[in-house]
Amino acid sequence: MSEAGAQPPPEAHPLTEAQSGLWYAQRLDPSNPLFNTGQSIALTGPFDRDAFEAALAQAVAEADALALRMIDAPAGPVQVLDPAQRPVLEVIDVSRAGDPMAAAQAEIARDMARPIDPTREKLAAERLFVLGPQRHVWQQRIHHLAIDGYGMILLTQRVAELYNAHRRASDPGAPLPGMAAAFAEDAAYRASGKRATDGAYWRELFADRPEVAGLAAGAPVSAPRFHRRAVEIDAATFARVRGSAERTAIPWPDVVTALAAAYVGRHTGTPEVVVGVPFMARLGSAAARVPAMLMNVLPLRVAMPERGGIDDYLGAVAKSLTRARRHGRYRSEQLRRDLRLVGGQRRLHGPLINLLPFDETPRFEGLESRLDVLSTGPVEDITFTFRLHGTDGLRLEVDANPDLYSAEEVAAHAARLAQFLAAASAAETLDDVPTATPEEARRHLFELNATDHAVPDTTLAALIETRMREVPHAPALRFAGEEMDYATLDARSRALAERLVAAGESGIVAVALPRSLELVVALVAVLRAGLAYLPLDLAQPDARLARILASAQPRHVLARAEDTHRFDGKVEVLAPGDWPVVPTGAGIDGPAPEDAAYVIYTSGSTGEPKGVVIGHRAIVNRVEWMRAHYGFTPADRILQKTPASFDVSVWEFFLPLMAGACLVIAPPEAHRDPVALARIIAEEGITTAHFVPSMLAAFLAEPAARGLALTRVFCSGEELPADLRDRFHRTLRAELHNLYGPTEAAVDVSYWPAGPEDRSRPVPIGFPVWNTRLYVLDEMDRPQPPGVPGHLFLGGVQLAQGYLGRPDLTRERFRPDPFRPGERIYATGDLALWRPDGAVVFLGRSDHQVKIRGLRIELGEIEAAVMASGRVRQAAILAREDGGTTRIVAYVVAEPGAELAALKAEVAARVPDYMVPAAFVRLDALPVNANGKLDRGALPAPDFAGRGGRLPATPGERRVAALFAEQLKLDAPVAAEDDFFSLGGDSLGAVALLLRVREAFGRDPGLGALFAQPTVEGFARLLDAEAPAEDLGLAPLITLLEGGPDLPPLFVLHPAGGISWCYGRLARALVPRRTVYGVQAPALAPGIAPPASLEQLAAEYVERIRAVRPHGPYHLLGWSVGGILAQAMAVRLAEIGAEVGVVAMLDSYPCDVWRGEPDPGEDGALKALLAIAGHDPDRLPALALTRPSVLAFLRASDSPLGQLPDAALDGVVRVVAGNNRLVRGHFHRRYEGPVLHFRAALDHAGRDLSPAQWRPYAGSVEVTDISALHAHLTGPEAVQVIAPVLARALESVEQREEAACATAV
Amino acid sequence: MAIEPADIRRIVTPAAPVTRETMRADIAKMLHEDPEEIGGGDSLIDLGLDSMRAMNLVLLWSEGGLDLEFAHFAENPTLDGWWALVDARQRARPPLQGG
Repeated sequence: MSEAGAQPPPEAHPLTEAQSGLWYAQRLDPSNPLFNTGQSIALTGPFDRDAFEAALAQAVAEADALALRMIDAPAGPVQVLDPAQRPVLEVIDVSRAGDPMAAAQAEIARDMARPIDPTREKLAAERLFVLGPQRHVWQQRIHHLAIDGYGMILLTQRVAELYNAHRRASDPGAPLPGMAAAFAEDAAYRASGKRATDGAYWRELFADRPEVAGLAAGAPVSAPRFHRRAVEIDAATFARVRGSAERTAIPWPDVVTALAAAYVGRHTGTPEVVVGVPFMARLGSAAARVPAMLMNVLPLRVAMPERGGIDDYLGAVAKSLTRARRHGRYRSEQLRRDLRLVGGQRRLHGPLINLLPFDETPRFEGLESRLDVLSTGPVEDITFTFRLHGTDGLRLEVDANPDLYSAEEVAAHAARLAQFLAAASAAETLDDVPTATPEEARRHLFELNATDHAVPDTTLAALIETRMREVPHAPALRFAGEEMDYATLDARSRALAERLVAAGESGIVAVALPRSLELVVALVAVLRAGLAYLPLDLAQPDARLARILASAQPRHVLARAEDTHRFDGKVEVLAPGDWPVVPTGAGIDGPAPEDAAYVIYTSGSTGEPKGVVIGHRAIVNRVEWMRAHYGFTPADRILQKTPASFDVSVWEFFLPLMAGACLVIAPPEAHRDPVALARIIAEEGITTAHFVPSMLAAFLAEPAARGLALTRVFCSGEELPADLRDRFHRTLRAELHNLYGPTEAAVDVSYWPAGPEDRSRPVPIGFPVWNTRLYVLDEMDRPQPPGVPGHLFLGGVQLAQGYLGRPDLTRERFRPDPFRPGERIYATGDLALWRPDGAVVFLGRSDHQVKIRGLRIELGEIEAAVMASGRVRQAAILAREDGGTTRIVAYVVAEPGAELAALKAEVAARVPDYMVPAAFVRLDALPVNANGKLDRGALPAPDFAGRGGRLPATPGERRVAALFAEQLKLDAPVAAEDDFFSLGGDSLGAVALLLRVREAFGRDPGLGALFAQPTVEGFARLLDAEAPAEDLGLAPLITLLEGGPDLPPLFVLHPAGGISWCYGRLARALVPRRTVYGVQAPALAPGIAPPASLEQLAAEYVERIRAVRPHGPYHLLGWSVGGILAQAMAVRLAEIGAEVGVVAMLDSYPCDVWRGEPDPGEDGALKALLAIAGHDPDRLPALALTRPSVLAFLRASDSPLGQLPDAALDGVVRVVAGNNRLVRGHFHRRYEGPVLHFRAALDHAGRDLSPAQWRPYAGSVEVTDISALHAHLTGPEAVQVIAPVLARALESVEQREEAACATAV
Repeated sequence: MAIEPADIRRIVTPAAPVTRETMRADIAKMLHEDPEEIGGGDSLIDLGLDSMRAMNLVLLWSEGGLDLEFAHFAENPTLDGWWALVDARQRARPPLQGG
C-alpha cells in the first residue's frame, strides 16, 4: 500500500452526528485536554522494534480517522482526509533516567494534560518509550473526534495482529476498513425513516421530563481533569453476578448495570433514576470495524425496586436496556435538543455506567502487556466503568468530575459500590442490602454518637434553689429598670409554690403572663411546686386557646386580672395581685427527676395542636450541657426575649438562674423591634442573646446594631444561612452558635460553632449534645453514608415523654431505637445528611410542615381551619417560596355560590396570626397529576398584585411601589391601590421596608404610619408631603439593590442605551448582598446637552458617584460601552487620588477597534433599544427597523421599556447614537490597576475582538470566558457564572483593604 | 520455543468445539426463543439481539480458547455469518498441545 502518487483533491465531509456533539463541546471549552482519549501499554519481554514500527505504520496507514483534519468553515465545520495528519511514531529513550517508568509516566501525564486545537494540530500521537532492553511503554493519544473507546481497541488489536504476523511471517488478516464506511452509514442513518422512529421513541419515553440527578450537586460540566479510583470486584461477587445472569438469562453486564443503577438510586433518593449507558453503536453496522467515533450515550430510566424480588428488578432493567439499544443510533445530543435540555444544569441523564465485558489487553507474542486506559473523554459527573480482565477478573473504575466530587468521595464511592455489589449479588431482595459500608454505618451510628456524659440526676427546681441560696444578694432579674435579687425571687416563688400546692393542684398550671418579673416568678414557682407549666400566648385566637385548655385541662392559670375574660370561667385565674409574697414555711415536696417540667403546644398536622411533655431529666441535661459547654458564669447577663410559648425561652429563663447570672427581660413586643433590641443590648451590657435567623437578619440591617459586642449569640428555630453568618461577623463582635432541636427533644440536640472562620455552606446543625444521638436513615431505617440525604431521628435522654393525652401520636413519632434495644428515637420529619467530617446538615422538612420565623406551622391545621368555614369544598395549603420569601398560600375551590370575602377573617379567628395565609387563590378545581395527586407545580403563583388597577403615577408612588415589590419579591407590577399587607407583607417585612424607606427617602415615618397608610398611594402621599418629585426610572443615578451598610457599593455603568436596568439580575445574584447603583446617561432627559467627550462624561459620573459615596473603594462594572466608561472613570478616580476597587467589563473592547467601523446609525440605535428590552434583534427579522414599528413592538411586549413615554424612548435612541459618536472620538489613557474582563465566548466569530486589546490601557487583564452571546451577558445563565467570579473579586479587594487598615494600626 | 504467557491462558480451559447447532441454541436462549425460530439468514437484530447479548455470546464461544473478535461478528449479525467466522477460526486453530 503506497502513499506515493498523485492524491485526489481532498473531499470535504460534514462532521458525523456523533462528532458534532463533541465538536461544539470542545469549541465551548477549547482548553480542556479531556477531549483527548488515550491509553498506554507496558510491554515486557524481548521486543521486536522493527516488527512493531512496521506494524504501527501499517495500522496508522489503514486507520483513516487518524488522517482527519478539521476545518472550521463559515458554513459549519467540515473534515478532510489529509495524509500529512497521520501520526509518525515518536521514540523516546528514558532508559537513562533514575526511574525510567516514572519518567515515562510523567511525560505521558504531561502530554495527556495538554489540550489540542483540532483545527490546527494532528488529532493523534503515537509514542514509544524505551525504558530498557526488555521494557517498553507504548502511548497512544487520539482526539475523541477521531475515535471512541472501541475504535481504540480495534486499532490496538490491529497493531498486535500485524506485529504477530510479521514475526511469524503469516497472513496479517483483513485491513481495517476506511472512513468511507462510517461516512456512508452516518449519511444513510440521517436520511432514514429509522432515525425518525428512533427519535419519536425517545421523545415519547421522555415526554414526562423525569427528574434527573447526579450524586453531587453542581453543574455537570467537565473539568480539565478527573479523579479516578479503581477497585477489584472480588471473585466470589463476580461469580454470584454471573450466577444471577445464568438464572435470569440476562447478560451479566446488564445485571451489573442494573445493580449499579440501584446504587445510584440509593443516593439520589428518587423513585426513579436516569443513568447514562455508553453504547458502541456498531452491531449490524457496515462501520462495525472502523476505528472512528461512533459511540453514543443512552439515557436509561430505571424505576427503583419496591420490596420485590431482585430477579423482577433485573428483568425490568434488562428489558429497558434492550429497548434502548434498539433505538440506540439516535444521538443523545439530538435528543437533548429535542427536549430542550441544552445548557446550564439541564441534564438528560445522571451518572454513567459503562460495562466493558471483554479483555481489551492486546496480545503481542512473546511479550507481557499491561494496559492502562488514561482518558476516555470528558467526565461531566461520575462514571462507573467495569472492565473485564483475564477471563474472570472484574475491575471497577470510578472517574469523577473534581468540581463536583472530592478525591475522598470518589474513593468512598468505589469502596461502597463494590460492597453494594457484593451484598446485592447475594440477596433475594434489594431491601436487605445496606447502602453504607459496615465501617460507615459503625462510625455514623456509634462513634459520632458517643456522647455519654455524667449529669446529676436532679431537677430544674433543685438546681435553681441551690443557686438562690448561694447568691442571695446577686441580681437575678432585671425588667424595665426594676431589679430583683435572688433572695426575693426565692421568697416570692416559694410563697406562690406553697399557694399552688395548698390549692390542691397536682398536674399542669397554665401561665399566660406577658414578659415581666411576675412571669419568671410564676414559672419558678410552678416548678418548685412539683408541677408542670403550660405557657399560653394570649395573642392567639379564642378558639385555639379553648382547644389547648380542653386538651391540657389545667385547673389554674397564672394571668393578669384584666385577661380573666379570655378563660371564660373554665380555669381559675390567679392574678399576680393575689399572689402571696412571703413563704409560710409549709412543706412542699418539689418534683422528682422523672416528673414533667413543662408542656408546650405545637402546631399539629391533624388540625389539633399537640402538647409536648418534657421531663426534668431531659431539660436538666440540655441546660447543664449548655452551661458547661459555653462556660456561663455569674457574670453573664442573658437577654430573655423569646415568648414563653416557644421552647427556646426555656433556657433563656432557667440557664441564668442555674448559673447565678442575671436574666434581663426585654419589654413585651421588643423581640420584634430591632431598634429596641439594639438599645437594650447596649444599655444592659447583654452577654448572651438568642435570635431566630430571620429576626437576626432584620436586626443586622439595623444601623444601631452595628459594632455591638456580646460574648455569644445563639441561633435556632430556622436554618441559619451562610451569608447571614458572614454578615453577622461583619456587623457584630460575638461568637455565633447554631443550635438545632424540635420541641420534642428538650429545645436543642445539636450544636455548631458558626465562627468567623467557619466557611461551611450550608451551615451545619453540627454534632449531638451530651447523652444524645442523631441518626440519618433512609426509608427502610438503614443508616445513610456521608453526603446522602435521609430522615433525621433523635435519641437519648432529652426526648419528650410524649404528647399529652395522645398515646397514638406518641407511638407514631417515638419509636423503638433499631440500633440500641430498649431505647426510643423520635422521627423529626426533617431531612438531613452527614458531612464527611460527621457534622449533620439540615436540609428541610420531609413533609408539608413549614417554619416561618422559627414557628412550626402544620399546614394541616390551616387546612382544617379553612374547611371549617363551610365555604370551601376543597383546599390545598402550601408554603411557597417566591424569590426567597416563604409565604403561606391557600388554594381553594369554593362551595357553589359561596362568598369568599370573609374567609381570611374566619381563618384568622381559628389560627395564630403567623399561620394566616398571605393569599387565598380561588380555583375551579385543584390540578392533579396522572396519579391523581395534587400537582403542586401546576398551582399558579398567587397574584398578590391582582386587586389594584391603577398604575403608580407620581414618582413617589412609583418609588414606593418599587420598594414594596422589592421587599415582597413580587414579579407582577404593584398598583397604586395595593396594600403592603394584602400583598403578602408581614410585620417583619414591614420593619425591613421601613429601613429601605429610610435609606431611599431619608425619612422614617414609623411602623404606625405604614399600618395607617398601607397602600402605595397612601404611603407615597405621606412621604411626598415633604419630598421633591423626581423620575425614578430614568434618574441619573438609581438604586438597583439595597444592601447592608457594611459593604462598599458597586456602581454599574449603562451600556449604549444609557439605561442601567439591565444589571438588576446581576445585582440580585451577588452574594453577599451589597448596594448596587446604576449610573444612567443624563441625555435621557430631553433638553440636556449631549456631553462633548467620553472623558467629560466619565468625569461627570465620577462626581456623581462621589456625591453618594464620598470615599472608596469604588467598584465599577460596565457592559459594552459601560466597560469603556468604567475604565475611563477608573483613570479619573486614580487621577484625583480616590481608591479604585474592582474594574469589571462585560465584553467591552477598546475604542480603537470601533473607530474604523462605520457608525451603525439609527438602525443600530433601534437594535440596541430592542436588546435593552431583552430581545435579540437578530431573531426579529420581520420587524422593520423604524422608530414607530420598534416603539409599537415594545409597547406590545411586556418589557418595562414599553411603559416609558415616547419622549423617554426618544431619549434612549438619542443616547445610543450619541454614544456611538463618543466612543469613536475617545482615546484611552492607561489605568494602572487590574481589569476583570468577562468575554462573551460564543460571539464575535470572525471578528478581531480580544480582551488582550486592553493590555496597553490596563495594568493587567484577567479574562473569564462566559459561554454566552454578547447580548445575553446579563441574562440568567450568564449571570449565574459572572456573579460568583465578580463576588470573589470584590471580596478579595475588600479583604486587602481590611488587611491594609490593620497594618496601618 | 518456550510457552508464552498468552498461550497458557488458552490451553488451561479446553472446551468442546462450537457447532452451528450449539450456536443456534445459545442465541435462542439469549433471546428467550426456541432454536427453530432462528433462521440461518435472519437478522439477529430484528429478532431482538442487542450488542451486550451479542458480546456475551462471543465471549461464551471464545471460552474454549478461540480467538474471536466481536467487531467481525458485529459486521454481519446472522447465524450463517457468525458460523462462518467461528468455523474459519476453528479450522485455522493449531491442534491443542498437551498441558
